[in-house]
Amino acid sequence: MTPFVRNMFVIARRDFLAIVATPTFLLFLLAPLFMIGMGLAGGMGASQLADSARGAGRIVAVADPADIEALRSADTRLRAVMPREPALLELRVATPAIDPIAVAREKGADTYAVMSGDLAAPRIVEREKDSGSGRYLALLAGEVQRARAAGPLPPVAPRFEALSSGGTSIAVQQSLGFGAVFVIFLLTLLLAGQTVSSLAEEKGNKVIEILAAAVPLESVFLGKLLGFLGVAVLFIAFWVAMAVGGGLAAAMLSDPAALTSTEGASKAAAALAAMPATGWPFFLGIGFVYFVLSFLLLGAVFLGVGAQAATVREIQMLSLPITIFQVGMFSLCAAAASAPESSLARFAQIFPFSSPLAMAARAATDDAKAIHLLAIGWQALWVALVIWISVRLFRAGVLSSGSGWKFWRRARGAAATAAVAEAASSQPH
Amino acid sequence: MIGDQGLSDYSVEANGLTKYFGDYKAVDHVSLAVPAGSIYGVLGPNGAGKTTSLRMTLGIIDPDEGTSRLLGGHKPQSVRSRIGYLPEERGLYPGMKAREAIAFMGALRGLDWSEGRRRAATFMTELGLERVIDAKIRKMSKGMAQMVQLIGSIVHAPDLIVLDEPFSGLDPVNQERLETLVRREQERGATILFSTHVMAHAERLCDRIAIIARSARRFEGTVDEARALLPMQVRYTPRDASDPAAVAANLPAGAELRGDAWHFAIEDGGVEPLLARITASGHGVTGLSISRPALHDAFVHIVRQVDAGFDADATEDAVEEASA
Repeated sequence: MTPFVRNMFVIARRDFLAIVATPTFLLFLLAPLFMIGMGLAGGMGASQLADSARGAGRIVAVADPADIEALRSADTRLRAVMPREPALLELRVATPAIDPIAVAREKGADTYAVMSGDLAAPRIVEREKDSGSGRYLALLAGEVQRARAAGPLPPVAPRFEALSSGGTSIAVQQSLGFGAVFVIFLLTLLLAGQTVSSLAEEKGNKVIEILAAAVPLESVFLGKLLGFLGVAVLFIAFWVAMAVGGGLAAAMLSDPAALTSTEGASKAAAALAAMPATGWPFFLGIGFVYFVLSFLLLGAVFLGVGAQAATVREIQMLSLPITIFQVGMFSLCAAAASAPESSLARFAQIFPFSSPLAMAARAATDDAKAIHLLAIGWQALWVALVIWISVRLFRAGVLSSGSGWKFWRRARGAAATAAVAEAASSQPH
Repeated sequence: MIGDQGLSDYSVEANGLTKYFGDYKAVDHVSLAVPAGSIYGVLGPNGAGKTTSLRMTLGIIDPDEGTSRLLGGHKPQSVRSRIGYLPEERGLYPGMKAREAIAFMGALRGLDWSEGRRRAATFMTELGLERVIDAKIRKMSKGMAQMVQLIGSIVHAPDLIVLDEPFSGLDPVNQERLETLVRREQERGATILFSTHVMAHAERLCDRIAIIARSARRFEGTVDEARALLPMQVRYTPRDASDPAAVAANLPAGAELRGDAWHFAIEDGGVEPLLARITASGHGVTGLSISRPALHDAFVHIVRQVDAGFDADATEDAVEEASA
């Protein structure tokens, strides 16, 4: 092991233990539980709101007694094949006293449309013009009319056949690509931001001079990234283990018969059949590699920025633009994932800060594997470049050192000398 | 771990180090040559440029001009593992235990972690800190933490030890322990370079010193050579003091009577003639002491001379400016 690598691991070890061996790390580790809890609570609230809204809505058909049953029967038939279930149908027997507009304005329920009059030429009062509810009532009237005109028909006996291995649709693969982008973005943003305060803390407690005297700053920066990457990997491993353990526990507690039933088996088979273009093992493996590179890239940027900051307030001010930039990269890659062949996608795959996310999405839709080697090399180059720049900035800004300043000093010195010489030559002799 | 010093007899060879911070010239062509195996002091008032000079010497910051070579002509970065450094601004991780902090600092210089922990315990026990071997830094007093950091800077048995204001913040007992430790490291074969503005430590420890004032080196040599910059001080009490004017007539010009004793300076070679004159005068002697000035006096003298030069320059500039 070279001294550079050894130093890097010494720094990484210190930072890893400083984070992991504290009670607050447990809170950090369990943070997703809070997120899930908040998400569940919000989802339940939204679901209840949707349910209550759905229960309160209705469409009304005011018809002759002879049409009531026919309408009910037609509603049953059509409702089953509608892509979006219409609001509940309320049937009322027509009387001269019933006013469709008054019915539409009755309190206690949301009435989307009211149909009245002869089914051949019904009057439909709509809450909103050209609404789906109004069209559905018209469809009902037409269905009743058609059934009456055709008379009784022999029942249809369809035979359904499912494709056993039809491959994963492009839409599903694009969804997998988007999922990869989302997961890598979320994990990177959650974990890479941790690095930002690291060097500022060391500047605060004056350890940085000891580090700078003992090891190359490149070792310090890389060691810190490695330490935080270790924390990130631990975090991911913990939650993968929890997910696998939870899945196994759920399987053991559920009814085995249900799992082995034809329906259960077919659902499981369908889930597994959603295959990324490069296959699951490669997709997961390369996804992890891209996460690591994305983490290193963003972590290096955060570290470089954090190194310039002296206070927590400065850290917050400086890290906000990076976070916004990263959200921009997510939006770019999400758009690229939905259009993998577009020039936007190509740009996202090449641009260094979006490349890890976009290439992970590409692994879901494109079966070419060699291109990922090129992408990994390209991204690793950028990680090195960002660290190199961060170190120079740190040396120039914080340690007031570095060749750039020396050059500036010499340039200024030469300019001053020239000015003095010029002044001297212009003096009268 | 004392290694081959190479072709050079100097552990530190810094030439013409210069550093600007903005328009301010913090260090102006400072050169240091520290003989291998010696204890070398860099003295200077606050803000003189000692810390910046040491940082440039160690390669922590790059000089704008000048070069630094360590341990046989090597670039500072290439011999990091053979150097121990205690910065002026003490820094330790507050959440770390003392033993771990020392082992960490050793590991940064290439020492095995377990060996670092073992040596940490040994050093701390020797320095009377065995109670806090496994205490966290944040629970220690400032002096204790400083001793921990000092141990951390020498735990890997370096060839060159650079200590920036090591005595600052330590109580007298710990100052003495530190002096003992410095001497022991020298006996081991290490070269020690330290900065201070407390002359007593330099006087007791240093083989050679450099005095930096107003960003530049103003003196380099041994402590005795520094003291020799000023004439010897004489304190003379005559037996018969009834006629002060008659006594003063036998003494050098500028002799001053304080109480019953005369105080005056005397050049080297002037002692014997003085003794002859006093004896011949018949005023007798009840007290006579002839001593070299302390390093403190030499230091103050040098710094004041430099300040006076700067003040004179400033006055001259102001006059020129006014006349223009």
